[in-house]
Parts: sequence; C-alpha cells; structure tokens
Amino acid sequence: MKNGFGVFIAAFIALGASWCGFVLAPAVQLSTAKQTTVLNSSDLYPIQRTGDATLGLQVYRANGCAACHTEQIQQDGVVCDVILTGAGKNPSAVSNLISTLKLTGLTKEQADGDSDKITAAGGKVEIHIVATGADIARGWGVRRSVAADYLYDSPVQLGGIRVGPDLADVGTRLSNANWQLLHLYAPRSVVKNSAMPPFHFLFESKKIGDVPSPDALQLPKVFAPPAGYEVVPTDDAKNLAAYLLSLRQDVPLYEAPFTPLQVSTNAPAK
Amino acid sequence: MSDEIKSCSPTPDAEPTATRSTVPMWIFSLTLVLIFLGAVYFDHHGGWFDAKVYGPYSSAEELDSYQPKSGAAALLAQGRKTYETVCGICHGTDGLGKPGQFPPLAGSEWVNEKDFKRLAQIPLDGLNGTVHVKGQEWNASMAAMGAALSDADLAAVLTYIRSSWGNNVSAVTADDLKAVRAGVAGKPAINGEQQLKTIPE
Repeated sequence: MKNGFGVFIAAFIALGASWCGFVLAPAVQLSTAKQTTVLNSSDLYPIQRTGDATLGLQVYRANGCAACHTEQIQQDGVVCDVILTGAGKNPSAVSNLISTLKLTGLTKEQADGDSDKITAAGGKVEIHIVATGADIARGWGVRRSVAADYLYDSPVQLGGIRVGPDLADVGTRLSNANWQLLHLYAPRSVVKNSAMPPFHFLFESKKIGDVPSPDALQLPKVFAPPAGYEVVPTDDAKNLAAYLLSLRQDVPLYEAPFTPLQVSTNAPAK
Repeated sequence: MSDEIKSCSPTPDAEPTATRSTVPMWIFSLTLVLIFLGAVYFDHHGGWFDAKVYGPYSSAEELDSYQPKSGAAALLAQGRKTYETVCGICHGTDGLGKPGQFPPLAGSEWVNEKDFKRLAQIPLDGLNGTVHVKGQEWNASMAAMGAALSDADLAAVLTYIRSSWGNNVSAVTADDLKAVRAGVAGKPAINGEQQLKTIPE
C-alpha cells in the first residue's frame, strides 16, 4: 500500500484523540472522587448501600432493568425564589416594597438585589434555590444527578431508554417496600395500565402451611393466587426492593445546590 | 454498451493519474467558522474541565455564586456544620443532650440569656461541677471545646444554638466574640454554677 505509514499515523492520532477525550479526561476529572458531605451539613454523602441493597443491584442488573429504566435525572436550569421570613418593625413598608418586586423565577443576581432591598426595609428573607427541568417537573427528583451519586455503584446502571420512569430517586418517591414487592409481582395491581412485565419468577407461589408466611403478598383478588396458596418473595425480590428503596438523590450537594423544602436525609427509607 | 466502454477508457493503454489542486477557499473558511463556534460553545458550557461543574452552571464562579454563603442563613449553616462536628456528639444534633449525661441546649436558660458572655465562656474555658439546666441538676465536666475554634466558627456555633430548636435570642458576631475571648482565654475551667453566675451578664 502506498503511504501505509501515513495512514497508520493518521488512524493512530484519530483513535488516540478520542481515547483522550472519552477515557483519559474523565479519569483525570473523576477518578479521585471521594465521599463528600451534604451541602451545609456534616452528613456524609453518598453512604455505602446496605448489604441487601448491594445484592439487589446485581438482581437489577441481571434482569436488565436498565433496558427500560434510567437512573439519571436531568436539569435544564436553576431559579431563585425570595421567601419572606419576617416582616420586621415596619410591615407595611415591606409589603409595599414586595408588591413592586418580582420574587420568583429569578437569577441569583436578581434575587440578591431583591433580598438587599427587602433587608434594607427591615424585612427578613431567605433565598431558595430551585432546580428546573422536565424530569424535575415530573416529580422524578429534586436536582440533577452528578457523578458523586454513583460513587459506590458497580457497575453503574445509568440506562439509556425510558420505557418506564427514571429510578434515580425512586426510594424517596415510593418508599414502601411492600408497594415495591407488589409492583414487581403484578405491576398492574398498583399502577393502572403499567407497561412493565410481571416478574413472577422472583416470587414463590406455594401452598399455605400451618401458619401463613408473614412475608406473603396481600394481592387484590384479580392477581391473587388460588385459594390455599400464597405468594412469597424470594431473597432476590427482597434484595431488589431494598435496592430500589436505597435509590435516593434527594440531598443538596456543592455541585448541585438546591434548597430542600423539608429536612431531608440520605438514610435508606424504612 | 460499446459507447460506455469507450467513454470510460478512450485510450486502452492510458494509466489513470491524480493531479494536485488547491483546497477550495469555502472549505477552509467553513472549517475556521466551525472551530470558532466550537470554541464559543466550549467556553459557555465546558466549565473548563472542572469536575464539580455540571450544567446548567457554566463555570466554577457561577456555581460558587449559587452556594448559600451570605447573610444570616450562611452564618447558621456554618454554625450547624461546626456544631454537628464538635458539639453534637454530646449535646446531640437535636440539641436535646443525653439524659443524665449531657445537658440539653434546646430551651436551656444559659443559652437563652440575653447576653452571650456567660455562654461563650463555657466553650472557651470549659465547665466543671454542678449546673442546673431546665430544673435538672447536671454534674458533668466539659473541656474547653471552643478554645481551638476560630472566632468566626465559634460565633457561628453560638448563633446557631441561640436560634435553633426553639431558642430565639440575638446572634453573635465574630468581633463580639473576639472581645470576650481576649478577656477569658486560657483561664482554668469554670467551677460549677456558683462561679458561672459570677460572670457578669
């Protein structure tokens, strides 16, 4: 081949450049990531998943859940709301001032400006930072996902296709283990017109013995097993439910700040 | 058929040759424009490879401006952080203390005094012996936990405990605390409630 060496060098540079972009640069950026703390708190984040949830991640992986569910919340923007927390000594002046100001959906600079004006009039304000975006409007989360959220996951189940809803913060949204088990056994027993296939093989349908199992699912009549039988979750189903409840991205971080409406925690749901 | 063959190779024994020609100017210009647009996009969205910068933030400075760190809320946040690291182990992150061991700060008459000088001296010098808090007698010894904290940190902690868990008294500034510290730093631990009460309010 004519110019064989030149073709080799050109291919090497092209592949090398993409390797630098896709492998080297992210490694330099993120390979030293460590556990950090929740914004304005000494709570550590993320915390290692419990043992059953770690096993549940492998069940999630083995059943290909990531083929239909993502674990990444997207955020398009950020807005600031100015919230009045005290009217001070001259409430009428403050209320007159507030009626002339736009207090929601501001940039940080606008919010700081309004805050200074109200403070000068004697009122007390707080600036609330709110993440915005389609995923957040759907209630799938309160802020975007960042690399720190996945520090202890191996492999990370980011997913790419959303046949079902995003699960990055599902432990906050649907924090009942029993609901999760019912949903895994018979999705349509709890979600009308669910497109999810039932995962019957994660459960055992067996004859009720002398004493009914305390774990047996309380299914609606349409989905219930025949009389004298009960549906009991296997360890896999319990671990998977524990993993789903451990999926929480509900605390503010330095790289994804927001103002929590309630005191939130990254502890696993009970 | 024969025409086509003819048109492909008019003379059967001619070798095809490639000649050199200059790149058209429009390709050159288009490449420059694309490089420029790429650089502008990178400048606005890249965050200069900072691992902490994600969209919608475009730079570390912008992200930093969204961190709550000005005004009273930031002072409370700083105070909470220090309190939970240094004080919360004994007095509890909920300020309720530990029954029979460490007195509560929530609703404590010592914390809710109008002036903070007595309160400030406890972490600065330590406290031994018996004190009464919320009608109960406590006999524990506290080391000078606040002596190593900076004025700003300790002032933030005092502000935090004086305005949390139902407590509602004035904030403490770093300058006020500096004045108090200058008078009491390095003294032996306060000995019981009697001595604590001799500290002027």
